[in-house]
Amino acid sequence: MNTFTSLITLLVFPAGLTLVLVGMFYEWVDRKLVARFQNRIGPRWFQPFADAVKLFAKEQIKPAIINPYLFFGLPVAALAGALTAALYVPLMGLNPASSFPGDLIVTIYLLSLPTMCVGLAGWNTSSRFSLIGATRTLTQLFAYEAPFLLAMLGPALVAGSWQINTINSYTQNHWLIFTQPVGFIVALIGLMGKLELPPFDAPEAETEIVAGALTEYSGRGLAMFKISRSVELIVGLSLVSAFYLGGLNGIPSFLLKSIALLLVMSMFQVLLTRLRIDQTVGLWWRFGAILVLAQLLVMIVWKGFAL
Amino acid sequence: MNIEQVLAQAEGLLAPWNKETIRPESNRLDVVIVADDLRAAVTALHDAHWGYLSAITGMDLGTASGQLEALYHFCNGPAITSLRIRLPRGNEAILPSIADILPPASFFEREMQEMLGFKFSGLNISERLFLPDDWPENVYPMRADFTLDQAAPVAGRHADELPEQGVVGGNTFVIPIGPQHPALKEPGHFEFTVDGEIVTAARMRLGYAHRGIEKAAESRNWIQNLYLFERVCGICSHTHALAYSLGVEKLAQVEAPPRAQAIRELVAGLERVHSHLLWLGVAAHEAGFDTLFMYSWRDRETVMNLLEQITGNRVNYSANLLGGVKCDIGSEQAKAIKEGLTYLETRIRHYLEVVTTDVMFLNRTRGIGTISFAEAVKFGLLGPTARASGLVRDVRTEAPYGAYTHFPVSSVTETNGDLEARCVVRLKELLVSCFTMRTIVDNLPEGPLTTRMPRKIPAGETISRIEAPRGELFYFIKSNGGETPARVHIRTPSLCNWVSVLEKAVGRQLADVPMLIAGMDPCFSCNDRLVTVARPGSRETWSWSRLREYGIEYYKR
Repeated sequence: MNTFTSLITLLVFPAGLTLVLVGMFYEWVDRKLVARFQNRIGPRWFQPFADAVKLFAKEQIKPAIINPYLFFGLPVAALAGALTAALYVPLMGLNPASSFPGDLIVTIYLLSLPTMCVGLAGWNTSSRFSLIGATRTLTQLFAYEAPFLLAMLGPALVAGSWQINTINSYTQNHWLIFTQPVGFIVALIGLMGKLELPPFDAPEAETEIVAGALTEYSGRGLAMFKISRSVELIVGLSLVSAFYLGGLNGIPSFLLKSIALLLVMSMFQVLLTRLRIDQTVGLWWRFGAILVLAQLLVMIVWKGFAL
Repeated sequence: MNIEQVLAQAEGLLAPWNKETIRPESNRLDVVIVADDLRAAVTALHDAHWGYLSAITGMDLGTASGQLEALYHFCNGPAITSLRIRLPRGNEAILPSIADILPPASFFEREMQEMLGFKFSGLNISERLFLPDDWPENVYPMRADFTLDQAAPVAGRHADELPEQGVVGGNTFVIPIGPQHPALKEPGHFEFTVDGEIVTAARMRLGYAHRGIEKAAESRNWIQNLYLFERVCGICSHTHALAYSLGVEKLAQVEAPPRAQAIRELVAGLERVHSHLLWLGVAAHEAGFDTLFMYSWRDRETVMNLLEQITGNRVNYSANLLGGVKCDIGSEQAKAIKEGLTYLETRIRHYLEVVTTDVMFLNRTRGIGTISFAEAVKFGLLGPTARASGLVRDVRTEAPYGAYTHFPVSSVTETNGDLEARCVVRLKELLVSCFTMRTIVDNLPEGPLTTRMPRKIPAGETISRIEAPRGELFYFIKSNGGETPARVHIRTPSLCNWVSVLEKAVGRQLADVPMLIAGMDPCFSCNDRLVTVARPGSRETWSWSRLREYGIEYYKR
């Protein structure tokens, strides 16, 4: 692979620009689906693009009591984290841009980076809404992270590899949603927690704390946080559908499986009432973590007998 | 017991302090006492469980008489006993505070303190509830000799110049909610001190939607005031106009024709449906259940369209006239109402099922903000908030007015007193309302829509109480026999229900606070109506033309 094609891969297709655009498109699909379920019209197809363009064109207001390096650096770090994570997953059903044994762990940690950045961003201002929002964001991170990791571990265990690409080729012949249903549900709901979608939107519950950790952000900073979330959505959907829905082997299978997942996610968003932060933590540790651990145990024992 | 016996009982209780007894109306007993005996008299009524404190009216009797008057209104079913106390004008009008005996009195007392310059010994709250921060000391807008020149803002006390309260420090800090905040649909200001996620203290500030309506009423004639009071509140505009019309009709000894009374009750019923569905949507949104919010507001359009079809308006229906109503129900409207009600009833039943069975929603409502029966009595709660705790406070059944004697309703009560019970009470109440409205449409009395009203209303005082969607609405109207009222005092149900929020928020999670605020269905516009906003030299004084120019310039950019 020469430098030119690497650059194209990184910046234009399938990572980089295309990823950002697809992310926005998926954000629109999600918003439109939720709106239609709620008996609303919903946004037009270009709304997320228009929002991003508008935000980039606007002035970024700098609050008085902040650390400017953190304030301007955090959105960049968040976006960089999400974009880097995208390199290791089979985006659009194509081969990952980069792959090495153990990239699954790296990807999961990179996916947590935007959330960490949001938490830090909230802590970095003197706004009380941001502070409460940041506390909730980080509390929620600790709640879903372990169960989500365990849910990703299940497919890795049966495929016998820590490499996303290897797992993806293994799952193309094995629909793990049927053999590991608990893992699938935990992974899907964990993804919703990661993206702070309802009912896990306590960190940005507008009726309590306005916009949570991002209350003080405007203009470019806000746009970058928003885009990093769209990218996270794509990466997360790719991971879950690659691991549990029979793998990804081309653009049609990607579109079909990820949009099916998005449909399920938007239904959850519509049907469920927001959880309080203590309820969120309780849900993950009391049910999510224990169930997925039990499933892992069963799998390990099963594997031991099979050998 | 009939009214006479109930009033005789009150007279007996108050006998030790009674200086003079007045019977202004058949259901009212006024007992004149002196300020020093107030606490003893209130305690006697309170200990005997004789009714509840409904309102305290303050009046300035004018510079000529040199007196202020305070009226403590206790209601017991249809019977009303008022304690009357006269005090000299000037700065030594001191009353003992009764807020420790009856908690809701603290709001009434603070209102009188700010508006009329009564002083309350024992009420240790000096911060303002209604008036702006830069309002000068010792200037009372409801005094008879108040002029706008007195109200020039005090330099350095504008809200922008005051130090911000509750800056972050340690583990506890203050979360401000309002005046502009996504949880509030109208401006109010709350400060919740939180330790982590747990609320440890709460305070509030009102007055952001003050329009000076009570003061303005004194310079408008009886008919103009009807339109003014309709604008006290955008949600229950009909109930305000109705309470005022009923009061003025009582003073003029005129009764609206039966058909008009029935139509008034019909519009009030439709208004209750629209108000409660609106509330359901807001409550669901506060809890983070936007789907319920969207659906209930969609269905609310049905009743909005009905109101528009009947009265021609969607918000200020302007259905009332003094002595009758403006709009008639024809066969076409009757058909539309019945069809609309059928649809609404199925939807309301569905929502009732949702709020009682949806596990995720119940997580946020069941067992939260529970108010026991005893607490409901102590806080002096009204309307659906009280009925959710098993306390029947419903003027429609306790003291039926207008057409409610012919088309009665039953009061719905629940016993749990939590947010779920408040949802259930409101929705069940709507089913009762729908049933009654159907009966009215089927049995609408024939006859004229209006009777003749005199232009001048005979001198006298009256109390008009009606059941607004949020609880008992209290109008005190005094006429000196002229073309304008001498004093109109409004006590809206929201003012009595605030205590429930402030008391119940402490110890709860911050996430429950918006639900608690929404749970009592607050209406800030109703609360705030007393202050003249345009003041000389004030930053807020903008002429209409300047505002218009500003708007044009703003959108040119």
